Amino acid sequence: MLGFILRRLLLLIPMLLGASIIVFLVLRLAPSDPAMDYLRLSYVPPSPEALEHARTMLGLDRPLITQYFDWLWRAVQLDFGRSYATGRPVLPDLMHFLPATLQLAGVALVVTLGISMPLGMWAARHSNRWPDHVVRLVAFFGVSMPNFWLGFLLVLFFSIQLGWLPPMGRGGWQYMVMPAIAVSLMSLSINARLLRASMLEAAGNRHVAYARLRGLSERTVERSHVLRNALLPIITATGMHVGELIGGTLIIETIFGWPGVGRYAISAVLNRDFPVIQCFTMSMVVIFVVCNLVVDIVYAWADPRIRLSAGGSND
Amino acid sequence: MTFLRFWLIAISLALTAQGTAAAPARLTFSWLTNVGPLNPHLYAPDQIFAVAMVYEPLVKYQADGTFAPWLAESWDISEDGRIYTFRLRQSVTFSNGEPFDAAAVVANFNAILAERPRHAWLELTKRITAIEALDERTVRMTLDESYYPTLAELSLSRPFRFAAPSQFRNGGTADGLVAPIGTGPWILRSTRLGESDLFVRNERYWGERPALDEIEVKVIIDPNARAVAMEAGVLDLIFGSEGPIFPEVFARFKTMPTFTAKVSSPVETRFLTINANRGPTRDIAVRKAINHAVNKDLIVATVLAGTQVRADTLFAPTVPYADAGLKPYGFDPALARKMLDDGGWRLGDDGVRRKAGEVLTLDLCFIGPDAVAKTLAEIIHAQLADIGIQVNLIGEEESSVYARHRDGRFGMIFNRTWGAPYDPQGFLSATRFPTHADYQSQEGLPDKDQIRAAIGAVLRTTDENERRTLYREILTRLHDAAVHLPLTYATSMIVSKPRFGDIPTAPLASEIPFERIRPEAR
Repeated sequence: MLGFILRRLLLLIPMLLGASIIVFLVLRLAPSDPAMDYLRLSYVPPSPEALEHARTMLGLDRPLITQYFDWLWRAVQLDFGRSYATGRPVLPDLMHFLPATLQLAGVALVVTLGISMPLGMWAARHSNRWPDHVVRLVAFFGVSMPNFWLGFLLVLFFSIQLGWLPPMGRGGWQYMVMPAIAVSLMSLSINARLLRASMLEAAGNRHVAYARLRGLSERTVERSHVLRNALLPIITATGMHVGELIGGTLIIETIFGWPGVGRYAISAVLNRDFPVIQCFTMSMVVIFVVCNLVVDIVYAWADPRIRLSAGGSND
Repeated sequence: MTFLRFWLIAISLALTAQGTAAAPARLTFSWLTNVGPLNPHLYAPDQIFAVAMVYEPLVKYQADGTFAPWLAESWDISEDGRIYTFRLRQSVTFSNGEPFDAAAVVANFNAILAERPRHAWLELTKRITAIEALDERTVRMTLDESYYPTLAELSLSRPFRFAAPSQFRNGGTADGLVAPIGTGPWILRSTRLGESDLFVRNERYWGERPALDEIEVKVIIDPNARAVAMEAGVLDLIFGSEGPIFPEVFARFKTMPTFTAKVSSPVETRFLTINANRGPTRDIAVRKAINHAVNKDLIVATVLAGTQVRADTLFAPTVPYADAGLKPYGFDPALARKMLDDGGWRLGDDGVRRKAGEVLTLDLCFIGPDAVAKTLAEIIHAQLADIGIQVNLIGEEESSVYARHRDGRFGMIFNRTWGAPYDPQGFLSATRFPTHADYQSQEGLPDKDQIRAAIGAVLRTTDENERRTLYREILTRLHDAAVHLPLTYATSMIVSKPRFGDIPTAPLASEIPFERIRPEAR
């Protein structure tokens, strides 16, 4: 298992290198000029002299290959340069904003799992009866509703109409409720339906029938023989949901004034703030690779067949 | 029971009294980003309205286009317009107690001029040859040649504003300031990255004491989120000309008794630059027909919910020197059709006109994520289709649209003037450079050299009559060439809680006069 983890971590290096080249080139393929954006942000009319000065100041007057290797050399030393827009070092700012995003995405993940699991089990237990229909209806809405729209509806109802929850900002748990629901509803809905289907499939297996014949209680059958087998697709799906949740968080932050990395990144994209976009992309690559790795490890832990076929031991 | 009641009343009274005494008069406002470290001699990320809260100019631009004494209480201009002598106001100090004197003014000017390339967009930085302190309160500024917008450029929110020299780094301001210390009515007390900034009143302020104690500026990017925050009571004020909220949302606030909503007087013109150097719009008949075909009153009444004013000329007639007696191109689709017919553009079976095999089609470029611009573009698309012009809507990211400004890849493109005090001189001056969409369009005009020469001359002349004549010539030539489709004169939208009284506006659209806000009862 340790070798597997190390191998996967080593793979990160070529992945990051590849991602850095792609991001660096794609950003510069667009027919726009960051120097022009810098002047626009500064409310400075783009006279030829001002543009030239901005290009020199931002280091955009050098050949592309020099820019890339210069950036790469600094990046491996964890110096991702300064933001064109704010003039501040990128990595410390990103690290300032990242915890808020991870906190929101983390809470959303807990909400997703904490609600979807009982819902999915409940629906499976009462398949094709009213609890199943209720869960189906909730899931239907959850999957169809864009998260930013849901965010506005929640604010309208709970902040403006009822005045129960603060509409924006970061503080106590009250600030977390609406953003976490808005971010997680879609993943939660998908997960609940997936678990239901997966449990119904597992319940049809012969070993479940034998378990019942052995006189085991319905609760034990469901927990030990149905749920355990039904969990595997959920683990895979959860891995994907992590990506969805982080992506959703990036959008939701703008609506709830949540001071996370999403607003920072979105502003950077709009302003062609290359150093920020590059650093953000690299950190997302790391986060996603690590999340996938964790999913694979959990998967192997949950399913002995995988860990044994991968050449691991059963201890 | 009585005993209990007594204590309850006593405690609640004590809490109320404490609350009243301790609560400062705070106004909560919002902005797209943090205000920045606030260095008046640098640009991004500092936000102009915040720079103007902390730093002040020598002279202040007034709504009527004149200049009022500010940190300079008087000034003389030599006959040839090259030497300006400023007498500084007495007993002004920076917010840290440091004296504001001639030495401080010279140190600030030197810091600015040491970075001339950075400020090259501003003509005055190229014109200044010397800045000297004649005595403790007198400063003399010498220019290489006369430049009439000198006072206008000195009144700008940057760079000619004054930071305490004790806060300079390495003898200048290019490497940042130790702390943002100015002479203005507010002090930047703290910044929470991505969340908010807090300003407190400068108790040493030389001018009238602001009624508010604190201004909190929350970071809110999204216009809808801003409106929601206002409605939920998180914000006290929405103020801005850059679409702080959507026009229909503003109209809704206007109907709500719990808010006061108003618009300022016009601050700048929103228009389309029509490319006279590319495609069918090279033909002046097409450009004039476009000007007659768009129903601006409809746009103002519907999409803009009455928040802006119909524009007939590039500059509002209230802009200095802009009242040139130009005849508006009125809304008259029949006349537009006739102009195209007369110009040889014949209507085809597909509803699109053609002339000698050339199809009357053009690209209208706008910023895609800008919902208002998108709707305006769609209306213009429909109204031009009505007279046989096919418009291709091209919505792109802001930076891609500005790239089109620069290289002329457009048939029509959304544009704006710069507002006071840049209009008209600053805006017109910039059209002489290739980075401006108007330059790209003017390339197709037979009299482009005369236009550019007249713009150069108007900046140099010291003769008021000659200046007036030159402006009339420039504006008439541009208007007659129909290289613009003026749409609206934009205003600032202001939504506030009634307890803050009537919110004043500043002559410079980029400034917000927080110091003049007077809450009705404390």
